[in-house]
Amino acid sequence: MEKWNNGKKTSQLKMKKKKQVKKKPSPSLPKTPPFPPFSLSFEGTQASKTGTWRYLTPAYLNKLAPCNEACPAGEDVEAAMVLAGQEDYLEAWEKIIQENPLPRVCGRVCFHPCEGSCNRKDLDEAVSINALERFLGDYAYQSGKRFAAPEQKRKEKIAIIGSGPAGLSCAYHLASLGYRVTIFEAQPKLGGVLRYGIPPYRLPKDILDQEIENILSLGVEVRASTALGAEVKWADLKQFDGLFLATGAWKSLPLNIPGEEAEGVLSGLEFLRKVNSGEAVALGQRVAIIGGGNTAMDAARSALRLGAEPLIIYRRTKEEMPAWEEEVAEAEEEAIEFIFLSSPVKILTENGKVKGIECLKNLLGPPGKDGRRQPQPIAGSNFALPVDAVISSIGETPDFSFLPGELGKSAGSLSVNEGGATSLKNVFAGGDIIDQPRTVSYAIGSGKKAAMAIDATLRAKELEEALRRARRGKKGSLSMASYRNGSLDSLGQEVVEFSELNTAYFKRQPRRAKEKISGLQRGSNFSEVTLGLSSIAANDEAKRCFNCGVCNLCHNCFIYCPDMAISARPDKLGYEINYDYCKGCCICVEECPRGAISVEVKR
Amino acid sequence: MKKLLTGNSAVSYGVMLSRAEVISAYPITPQTTIVEELSEICSDGRLKAKFIRVESEHSALACVSAACATGARVFTATSSHGLAYMHEMLHWTSGTRLPVVMVNANRAIGSPWNIWCDHSDSLSQRDTGWIQLYCQSAQEALDTVIQAYRIAEEVLLPVMVLEDGFFLSHTSDTVDVPEQKEVDAFLPPYRPRYKLDPADPHTFNIMADPALFISFKHEAQKAMDEAQKAILRVDREFKSRFGRSYGYMGKVHLTDADVVLLTMGTAASTALEVIEAMRKQGKKVGLCRLRMFRPFPQAALCKVLSKAKKIAVLDRDNSLGAGGIVAQELKAALYNLPRKPKVFEFIAGLGGRDITPSTIQEILEYTIKNPSPNGLPVWMGVQK
Repeated sequence: MEKWNNGKKTSQLKMKKKKQVKKKPSPSLPKTPPFPPFSLSFEGTQASKTGTWRYLTPAYLNKLAPCNEACPAGEDVEAAMVLAGQEDYLEAWEKIIQENPLPRVCGRVCFHPCEGSCNRKDLDEAVSINALERFLGDYAYQSGKRFAAPEQKRKEKIAIIGSGPAGLSCAYHLASLGYRVTIFEAQPKLGGVLRYGIPPYRLPKDILDQEIENILSLGVEVRASTALGAEVKWADLKQFDGLFLATGAWKSLPLNIPGEEAEGVLSGLEFLRKVNSGEAVALGQRVAIIGGGNTAMDAARSALRLGAEPLIIYRRTKEEMPAWEEEVAEAEEEAIEFIFLSSPVKILTENGKVKGIECLKNLLGPPGKDGRRQPQPIAGSNFALPVDAVISSIGETPDFSFLPGELGKSAGSLSVNEGGATSLKNVFAGGDIIDQPRTVSYAIGSGKKAAMAIDATLRAKELEEALRRARRGKKGSLSMASYRNGSLDSLGQEVVEFSELNTAYFKRQPRRAKEKISGLQRGSNFSEVTLGLSSIAANDEAKRCFNCGVCNLCHNCFIYCPDMAISARPDKLGYEINYDYCKGCCICVEECPRGAISVEVKR
Repeated sequence: MKKLLTGNSAVSYGVMLSRAEVISAYPITPQTTIVEELSEICSDGRLKAKFIRVESEHSALACVSAACATGARVFTATSSHGLAYMHEMLHWTSGTRLPVVMVNANRAIGSPWNIWCDHSDSLSQRDTGWIQLYCQSAQEALDTVIQAYRIAEEVLLPVMVLEDGFFLSHTSDTVDVPEQKEVDAFLPPYRPRYKLDPADPHTFNIMADPALFISFKHEAQKAMDEAQKAILRVDREFKSRFGRSYGYMGKVHLTDADVVLLTMGTAASTALEVIEAMRKQGKKVGLCRLRMFRPFPQAALCKVLSKAKKIAVLDRDNSLGAGGIVAQELKAALYNLPRKPKVFEFIAGLGGRDITPSTIQEILEYTIKNPSPNGLPVWMGVQK
């Protein structure tokens, strides 16, 4: 059994006999009680403080769930999953909107890196976090939930240029902090890429409108159809105390081939902007879409819905396509044709109109700097295809023409420091205009970071320290909740790995994925393709969450502690360890299904 | 009421009549049918006891010991490897002076794999502080279980009741099952002086430092000494109520026997027939069937065996490197006698090997023929 404690006097054995030997025997005193038959305490049950034997010390150190670290928008996914698992959907929604004002948008269009890092994928399949986010957003909206008015008012005014996800996120967070926010938007309506880039079959416009309305209800002022450099001048913005630039990347890269100027050649973003604005676009019958990114997929699928026959031409193979797998799969489900390993060399025209496209076949060469295999043209492999229109979607770049020349730039992006600040005082930038992955969630994250930076600057806080406290893990995720309460985050920074979980407590259960309407039903309209989860499915799915690193009161540690040294905390929000009796066996650490207990070696 | 019962069934009746309150066990051949029957008895309400299923014998004994510490009368049963698996808890149970009653259906310990009878399982636990009573018949098994609770609760020591696997556990015999009210009159409810009770909290088994540890062991030894008296006292009272008694040992023709066969368990029944037959042939042989192995009745054995010239000890066990365990203990007991009988040692019946009348006869004739033992135990029935 247990080892003797190295001669140290630990015995607390107290016996009546021992205590009474010193007393003088007296006829009036009772007879000395006999030596007890076995060792037992006579003064309570806490005689031997066996905690002194401890070498390892277990401690409740909540850790970071990998989904939280992976979320570019900084959502506390794990906390939302716990609440959703308890059918407390509105509280779960509150957790999300503390960090991200656009759950209904993200629940539809986010590329969900949270799911990519979900520990559950190593047991069976990742939790459908993205589908749950959509469910929670829709549920809260349908339940009449709206954002709460800011608790305090600040006198400082902030201008936000651009109303895409970065601008909206920044506006929301600053307005929630009490600032007077004005959004300047060149287009007649707010939303940026959400409205003019992403087609409604992925993100219905009414949902976007509702999400934006919710943000504006915080008292955000809007100047639509007000382009910087035209309706508003840079000098006009001097009256603001802070500035956030989030004008995106709307300039399409040219194909640089003959015939590009012909009638019937469009850029992907221009095409999408027109379609999404309700403008008529004459495409003809066959449309070639050049490129393998998300814009190309959106363009092709929109073209299909306009009655055309889209044909995607990509210079490498499916493997190397930069578009998200899900988008490619949906395009395939809609029977859109792909031509791989082909590069356009010439647009064939007749009377200044597109008539066809000439391509060259490629072989895949060795991988380039980005790790993708590079296309190598095969001389003389030219072939021509008859097409009525060409949509070029080989990449986009920010437009700096309306910005002051002294703003620092590098490699086609606006230069910003760790805190999102540009080279000009009190001017911050985020979204696709800076060098970061061009996704909605990264844009939302950069808008939040700028909001923190602007607040810290105006409130004379130490920005680096403020951001350090808000940071979750090593991937740039920032928590507004942590920023606002200013204390070091109780969730810590250590990310829970799969090996730290005790998966014996989880049974395999397939994931409840989003359902989709069939490919055949989609071609003729712009209705939303992906369906939401039912509340039953959402609840099932939330319960699949391991709750990595966070105590959810499962009682295992309490049940397994052989020394009964673990008990519920007085606030009932967790457990505490009585170190007078914890011998450091660390069975609690082993039996915690979710890695919420850590071992510290004693001194 | 008379019933035809197997040894195991007789044990179950004994436990039921003793009104055990907590039963916990893990199945193992040949014990299993004891707790099987008890689970039925509990389930149909004949016994109001908590029957706790566990994942191992170690847990079974931990479970009943803990229940006993709260003041409950408890029971468990096991065999062979199950008893070996309990080893640690055997010490803790006796060290905590808990009057647990356990039946062990004797079975050999592997390897090789074997499910049949010998005494190596319980004899290898002889130093764990348990009283050990070896039974010869189903009636004795039932009676001993009832007696065991009285003895255990009087001296605060656990009692192991032993029955030979299959030879006794699975053979049927006529058993006089006592009336419940008679047993109730003999065996009052268990009222411990110290028990685990939230209203009066104590920690049991707290650490005893070197200054105290030896005193606790001395207390336990004193209890074992007291148990010798208690066993006889209880047996006498049992006889007055039920008409049956067993004592430390069964004695046949010991008053004038020159050669005495000493053994334990069911082999004594076989031996009895051989001895009676040899007596008819005028041979002065006798039989001593040892019932109480712990505490070891040194003085009583010396008294009944000192007149014999030779003693043949039939051990259904062997302590490798030393010899038969009963023989070792007997020789130690006789050592200080001024006039000592010679002790002949025989190892037989291991792993369920039959001990037939001819085996017994061979043993006795060998003992009669040879003037003194050659110093080594004789192994019976070993394949050449």
